[in-house]
Amino acid sequence: MAYIAAGSIMVSDWHRSPESREFFSKILHNKKRRKFGLLEAPVMPPHLKADIVRYKVFLSGKSGVGKTALAARLAGLDMPKIHYETTGMETCGVFWPVKLRESGRMLFFHFQLWDCGESAMRRFDHMLPSCKEHVDAILFLFSFTDRGSFEDLSNQMSRITEPSDRLVRLVVGTKFDLFMHTDVTESDITRFEEVWGVPVFRVGGDVSGGFGEISLLLNALAENLWHQDCMHASTSVPSYPGHIGPEIIV
Amino acid sequence: MFSIPSSLGMLHSQSVQLLCLTASSGVPLFCRGSTKQLPFSIIGSLNGVHMFGTGHDAALSCCETERGGRVLWRVFHDSLMLIGISSNADVSELHLRRLLENAWNCMVLVLGLDELANTRNVERLKRELRSCYRLIDMLLERGMDDRDGDRGLMGDLTHCADCILFPQADLLQETLDAFTRAAESEFGCLLVRGRLAVATEKWWRLAPQELVLLSALANLPPGKTSCDCPVFLPQGSPNVALRLLCFQLLPGAIACVLCGPRPSLYHVENEQVCRFWSPVVENLRSCLDQAKRSALSPSVGLRRDVLALLLINRESRRSVESLGHACSKATPLLSPARRWELLRLFYTFAATRYFSSEESPSSERPTAELLHEEFSAGFTHLPVHCYLVTDECKCYAVQTPQHQLFLLTDLSVPTFALRSVATHTLDAVTTATGF
Ligand SMILES: Nc1nc2c(ncn2[C@@H]2O[C@H](COP(=O)(O)OP(=O)(O)OP(=O)(O)O)[C@@H](O)[C@H]2O)c(=O)[nH]1
Ligand SMILES: [Mg+2]
Repeated sequence: MAYIAAGSIMVSDWHRSPESREFFSKILHNKKRRKFGLLEAPVMPPHLKADIVRYKVFLSGKSGVGKTALAARLAGLDMPKIHYETTGMETCGVFWPVKLRESGRMLFFHFQLWDCGESAMRRFDHMLPSCKEHVDAILFLFSFTDRGSFEDLSNQMSRITEPSDRLVRLVVGTKFDLFMHTDVTESDITRFEEVWGVPVFRVGGDVSGGFGEISLLLNALAENLWHQDCMHASTSVPSYPGHIGPEIIV
Repeated sequence: MFSIPSSLGMLHSQSVQLLCLTASSGVPLFCRGSTKQLPFSIIGSLNGVHMFGTGHDAALSCCETERGGRVLWRVFHDSLMLIGISSNADVSELHLRRLLENAWNCMVLVLGLDELANTRNVERLKRELRSCYRLIDMLLERGMDDRDGDRGLMGDLTHCADCILFPQADLLQETLDAFTRAAESEFGCLLVRGRLAVATEKWWRLAPQELVLLSALANLPPGKTSCDCPVFLPQGSPNVALRLLCFQLLPGAIACVLCGPRPSLYHVENEQVCRFWSPVVENLRSCLDQAKRSALSPSVGLRRDVLALLLINRESRRSVESLGHACSKATPLLSPARRWELLRLFYTFAATRYFSSEESPSSERPTAELLHEEFSAGFTHLPVHCYLVTDECKCYAVQTPQHQLFLLTDLSVPTFALRSVATHTLDAVTTATGF
């Protein structure tokens, strides 16, 4: 599926606009990201009622590449300081408000991020199928400090997905802050993007807690998922994009 | 007895180190706990003295240095040796002994007994053991860290399940039972701020050491919404992995089930969690609220001069810990962290010196350690009360056939009154809660 250019469906940089302030305030608590339990969701006042659309996103990549760190970065959790292998699957949720360009409609995307430790996946057969069950998007991770992880990307992509899968695929290069030690050049990235038609995002460094550092990736995820659902809806039974979750009170 | 002062001097004052080696050949597998690695030569000698003992039919289990350092050895399943080292007199032998047991149980929990007991490839085992580090490090930090979440959890030391008592737990119990059945399991529990609030009958029948580790593993940090972890139960299922599914319903309230191959995490999370738990969300909220204050129901009226208490039900191997209000002006103000620390120290003091029969017979313990008790060795009776006065607080412990209570009070309580304060507190708590 063709990749959607940033800003073609949703207002880019909406988090900077005053209009979005009330939406983003719902995912903050004491200037940090608010932590939601499974029974909770942001609730807007009636005049700003916004639907929540839910998607499952799987983080794939070698051990130590930074899956747990990326999940924490996106969800605004404490980042792991040292590498502890993840001993199973862990999920965390990210609520992300967006505004649709055409209709002006405002929505909360809810990304359920699935992070599975590589060694656990190797030792237990049920992990990978479980991560792929009902999955809507996969983030393929490599690390800028580990050329092997970059070279393994195409392998990884064809190993765990079929071209026919209805999936949004994005690639994320981690540890971009360690550019002094980088093993992967800009031209490597450009070539990869051309061959695969998949954009590569760069993350790394300390988190300041601002939305700027994650908005590019989250917006791209939202736009492509929305687009995928619209395409699907127009070719098959009409259905609402995303999975509208149960109404939950906070 | 001999000493190894030079090596212990290398440790931080507060630190405990844990070494793991293969028992037969002494190949180091990992070393956790201190930022500074012990040099290979010292690891070699620590292994060497133990081997020397074995060669002469003597089991070397523990040694102490004049300056309060301590080393403990233990071999598990004839395959792996764990060595615990501390340089601080505050770290008791009990603490180290528990650490070795818990660390071993962690390793079984994550990797399974077969992988550990029948090592074929040492390099591979070394690699696999890395997945235990998170849990092991968490245990190493217990009782000496200042992270909020763990405050006052003592199960790693007492080998009793840390519990929290709520006045109206029936509805939560019903909800949990139904949720567990829906997840095709008989093993389920609800953790509130790291403590067991309710659990299914089968869950309570797991070994206390297992309950302690499962609670630690299940205690997701806020923001993580769920997990699906393969676990081997050290006693119940050491060779067949089960799946531990955990769901953070509200930050700090976590529902867990132990399952076989089915159902999937996605299924339970998306089909069952809201269906069963949404109707009781307000109850959960008020539990979390209460838990911020105490692990005891509000109906329990503690005296104002109680600083902290630990109550153990000896039969069920469950415990509750709580801080008191402590608003008296007589004592130097003790921070909550310090009160928890003192409670751990007093428990260790009383449990090893006076109530030592408490050691459950199932935990295999070399007889040499039983002889270590100097006090009780000289007496034919078992003490049922003991007390200790320090310059920070007064401590009193009572033992009945059913319970043990460890109580810290303000210095303002007259020493002669401690006994009645303690027995009254024990009565008050057990009557109000039925614990
Ligand atoms: N400097 C820097 N370090 C990072 C970044 N992302 C991850 N790390 C570090 O890399 C190490 C491994 O990261 P994890 O996220 O735990 O690795 P993982 O992919 O989850 O590994 P497994 O769970 O074993 O599969 C940790 O020490 C992180 O702090 C980054 O963007 N920049
Ligand atoms: Mg990880």
